[in-house]
Amino acid sequence: MPRCGLAGLEVNAVNNGVETVSMRRMSLYVLTAASMACLAITAYAQAPVAVPSPAVTPATSENARDVLSRVRPAVIQIRGFFGSNTAQAFHGSGFAVAADGVFMTNYHVVAQKVQYPDKYRLEYRTAEGKTGRITVLAIDVRHDLAVVRAAGLAPAPLKLEPVVPVKGDRAYSIGFPLDVGLTITEGVSNGRVEDSFDPRIHYSGAINGGMSGGPALNAAGEVIGVNVSGYIFTQLVAFLVPAEHAQALLDRALKQKPGAGSLRKDVLAQLRAHATDLLGALDGAMPTQVTAGYALPAKLAPFIDCIASGDPAPDQPVHIVRINCSAKAGLYVQQGLYGGNLKYSHFVLSTSKLDAWRFARQLSDGAFAFGEHGSRRHVGPFSCNNRIVGLKGFDAGVLVCVRGYRKFEGLYDFTVRVSSLNGSKRGFASHLDMFGLEFEAGLRFIKRYVDALEWKP
Amino acid sequence: MSAETVLIEVCGIHGRVQARERVTLTGDTRTFTIGRGAHADVTVDDAYAAAIHASVEVTPEGKVLVSDLGSVNGIVVSGKRHHGARNLELADGILKIGHTRLRVRTAHEALTPEKPDHIEPASIVRNPAFIATASGLVCVAQLAYAGWLGAPRDIAAAIVIVLTSALLAAGVWVAFWALLSRVMQWEWRWLRHAAILLGVTAVFISLHGLLELGWFVFSLPQWSTRAALVGAIAFACALYLHLNHASNISPRRAALVACIVPALAGGAGYWVMERERMRDVNHIDTSLRIYPPSLRLRSAGAAEDFFRDAAKLRPAADEKRKAMPGDDEPGEAGDDEV
Repeated sequence: MPRCGLAGLEVNAVNNGVETVSMRRMSLYVLTAASMACLAITAYAQAPVAVPSPAVTPATSENARDVLSRVRPAVIQIRGFFGSNTAQAFHGSGFAVAADGVFMTNYHVVAQKVQYPDKYRLEYRTAEGKTGRITVLAIDVRHDLAVVRAAGLAPAPLKLEPVVPVKGDRAYSIGFPLDVGLTITEGVSNGRVEDSFDPRIHYSGAINGGMSGGPALNAAGEVIGVNVSGYIFTQLVAFLVPAEHAQALLDRALKQKPGAGSLRKDVLAQLRAHATDLLGALDGAMPTQVTAGYALPAKLAPFIDCIASGDPAPDQPVHIVRINCSAKAGLYVQQGLYGGNLKYSHFVLSTSKLDAWRFARQLSDGAFAFGEHGSRRHVGPFSCNNRIVGLKGFDAGVLVCVRGYRKFEGLYDFTVRVSSLNGSKRGFASHLDMFGLEFEAGLRFIKRYVDALEWKP
Repeated sequence: MSAETVLIEVCGIHGRVQARERVTLTGDTRTFTIGRGAHADVTVDDAYAAAIHASVEVTPEGKVLVSDLGSVNGIVVSGKRHHGARNLELADGILKIGHTRLRVRTAHEALTPEKPDHIEPASIVRNPAFIATASGLVCVAQLAYAGWLGAPRDIAAAIVIVLTSALLAAGVWVAFWALLSRVMQWEWRWLRHAAILLGVTAVFISLHGLLELGWFVFSLPQWSTRAALVGAIAFACALYLHLNHASNISPRRAALVACIVPALAGGAGYWVMERERMRDVNHIDTSLRIYPPSLRLRSAGAAEDFFRDAAKLRPAADEKRKAMPGDDEPGEAGDDEV
């Protein structure tokens, strides 16, 4: 599922799956834009308006002005400050979900505060310009949600509507895009995203940076989801977290005792649970696809995107088919750090022109072991195991490298490279990269992946 | 008794003779004196020498005996300074008076045989021209092979580039040592230095290639510092041979220098690299080099064993993670993280 921070990678993958320098640059640009896009807006509501009670018949109006006037007092802008600065570092949106000033927003809006509690402070600003402190009560990294308390502010809460609207239903999104003031956008719900690992509602309407954490509403002014992300360079493809998850987090937040447990420990526990779920969803028989005589892991689950491409020119020394697959499962943890994801690619080489020696060199180059880029702020160096191993019907060079997360103990990145050694005219190099997973489960998956490789001439 | 001639040579830098004095010994007069004064038999222009500094006696058997005649600075024989010593034997013929090095040569000295300036057919294999040519061909073949292997599209251009740059680098290296030979030994010795460079390179390129091939052929474990170690040993060998041919230092001292220099340079380089690696979280230590499948001689290991070993990566990774230095990477402002 696309998230604010990952939108660029999605765009990258959609283009053709071949990573080039220029595309990398583009994805970086997109990330910057995307992180901006993850910010929220507050409503500058004037007169308080009656909040619809659950008893009110829904869909009394499809007018955006009506919807906005109803919910305006409940929407705030959440702003983050670095140190004692008065200029903001980031901003997002939030909305009231319970009495006593309990608000819902995105985890990624408050992530820096959760990870560096002493370095950041959070404040709200209402549409009237009233400001005050915000404290984080509970977080749900998996669904990118957070429950916060705003000091000295208690508007009537919005009602959460856990039933996902059907495709074609009118929907509205409210927030503070790019810090330009309270904004409502009108669009259409396209129901649940079917092949997403994390549950999302597909909203066809504009969601921009700063609207993150703001409410998405139906025509009756009930919250159907929380603004979470959109693609950059696409038109009106945006995503909401379904309200049922907001309700679940709210229930948990209201039940827990104040000051119970550490939020950072929660993050680690939730990352571990997500990692377990991710590999659990990939359990079972591993589907393969045969290319040039080699059975290679194919699309392993609906939430994995695969793209196969090649150069069609007929007279090349080596013909290369590239198969790139990536799971859309990465969780935003903090700036520059995503957890719980995996991707794999196969480079299948064949030649009719090169001799065995030069073909072997081409295969060596394809098998070259670049580690997936990580920051030493977050991970340690790799440790590797590199051997020639007999697999099903062929021998292969197998390289497995592991590095540990520094602040999330028990999570690891894995880099796997497998290259066939049996063909003088055909061969493949397979790359598997996994991020933020538990060691035992990760290694088990690698073993299944390697076991699935087979020579089927 | 017939007259006997003794040569007294004043040695300059790198053993060059700056002046030569001939002394004739007759009958019972087998002793002459050296000093700054005009009345010494051999006069040296040295402010640190006495007027009559030392006396030298050449025995009928050819032994050279030196005595200090009460000078302030004494005499230096075999690297040791002596004051007022009598009848010290000059084994190597070298005597230091003041700051002047003198060589005493008699008719009894052992001369090295005359060097032939043409190649003896029997020693053709040891001839530098032969070694340089043969190992040069091996090096060219290796480079051409590497160029051919890696460039399936334009082989000729790749090979020309590789050969030209290698030739240039080798030329600079050989010229440096030849110049040193010219200064220290009065001979250019181009061929000898070319033979050393090309011979050592040919041997060690082949060794490196064999080790790399061995991993593939016999499924040996990868050894990450292998290339660096082979390189360091090759450098040490070349340095030893070059020093022996280009300078006056003794073989033992040359061997010492040839061991210490690569060890220091290599050690420092390795230490810096290891430190960088500790900080580079994206570095992967091992890469695969694949050869044609027909070369494989030993069967591969079992996948079960591989994954049993892989389970040990966890403590290894944890150890490296804990050994990391603190949060010193630039953060958000200059952030290039994805």
